[in-house]
Amino acid sequence: MTQEFDDKLDRAARQLATEITPEHDLWPGIAAAISEPRRSRWTPMLAQAAAVVLLVGASSTVTYLAVKNDDGPVVSVAPELIFEQAAFGGNYHLGPGFQDARNSLRIELDVELGRLSPEARDDIQANLDFIHGAIVDINIALEQEPDNVLLQAQLLRAYREELGLLRRVGGLTRNVMIRNDI
Amino acid sequence: MEALLTAVGSDYSQGMAESRTDIAADENAWVRRAKRSDVRAFESLYRLHEGKVYGLCLRMTGNVSEAEDCAQEAFILAWNKLDKFRGDSSFSTWLHRIAVNTVLGRIRKSKREQDRIQAVTDTQQDRFETGDTGELRDLAAAVDMLPSGARHVFVLHGVYGYSHDETAGMLGIASGTSKAQMHRARKLLAQQLEEQGFEA
Repeated sequence: MTQEFDDKLDRAARQLATEITPEHDLWPGIAAAISEPRRSRWTPMLAQAAAVVLLVGASSTVTYLAVKNDDGPVVSVAPELIFEQAAFGGNYHLGPGFQDARNSLRIELDVELGRLSPEARDDIQANLDFIHGAIVDINIALEQEPDNVLLQAQLLRAYREELGLLRRVGGLTRNVMIRNDI
Repeated sequence: MEALLTAVGSDYSQGMAESRTDIAADENAWVRRAKRSDVRAFESLYRLHEGKVYGLCLRMTGNVSEAEDCAQEAFILAWNKLDKFRGDSSFSTWLHRIAVNTVLGRIRKSKREQDRIQAVTDTQQDRFETGDTGELRDLAAAVDMLPSGARHVFVLHGVYGYSHDETAGMLGIASGTSKAQMHRARKLLAQQLEEQGFEA
């Protein structure tokens, strides 16, 4: 890969079509969906977000119990596990320290997971997906209610759950490695 | 002759500038009316932005039906959230942000990324129409095969021209991560495209 190649790639990328007409007219579906009068949705979304955060806590505990004695074979892990989003509604951002810790743990995740069995890995992936789903849901709710303190607290809690899970994966795999070394 | 060309060029530029101003004025008026639940005004906004929003969804998902769902969902969300649009950014950027969030949310909720890549591979013979031709078509196909993190950054930064800070803001990642993913995307695209004779 050369600078010359990068430049050509950049030029070519800028020439890709940015406006593409959909094969079907999407307006009738949109018109049907927006024909109902607007209403505030924060109450059900808030309830849903609260339920999700509670489930995340329970789910993370289950993962911890499921993998704590695991010493499965070393396998490669798909790169999509690094896929991430760290947003805080539209108006807030995670602090740099938290962001750095999170990014660092996410980067190490594939190596760490490689030391666990496929079942444990799938379980952790399911939990991470679940937490990410919760983060997205709460973020959507926060877009509508940016000043909602309860939602903000729930989002922070979801991020903490994720960080805790990532840390536990690191701790668990280190234990597995020590046992294997012995 | 040169003076005539300059004058014609100047008139043309002025015409284009006035045209852009007209569109911006119309857009602002449509936004104000749509905020008051005027569906026709919102349809005008939809007609103005459908190509870019759908294009963004299609580039990010690499799948026609998924892109249609995402674009539709993004406009519905935009309608529901219009009263929150304060004009801090352009309406277009605000709309794109909603579209990106919609794509990310759907990817996480619906399926594993590996399934998406497999689906893209399976449908390579029957690629969707984007208007790209020649080498650009090869590039577009290679972009579809990128892992999600690298693909999303490449589309927003490389194709749509958002800065790394803007891209990072839309994807909810750090600016440094956006730069790293762009580097990764270039590296992976180089590997794939050099085999096909895409050379500098």
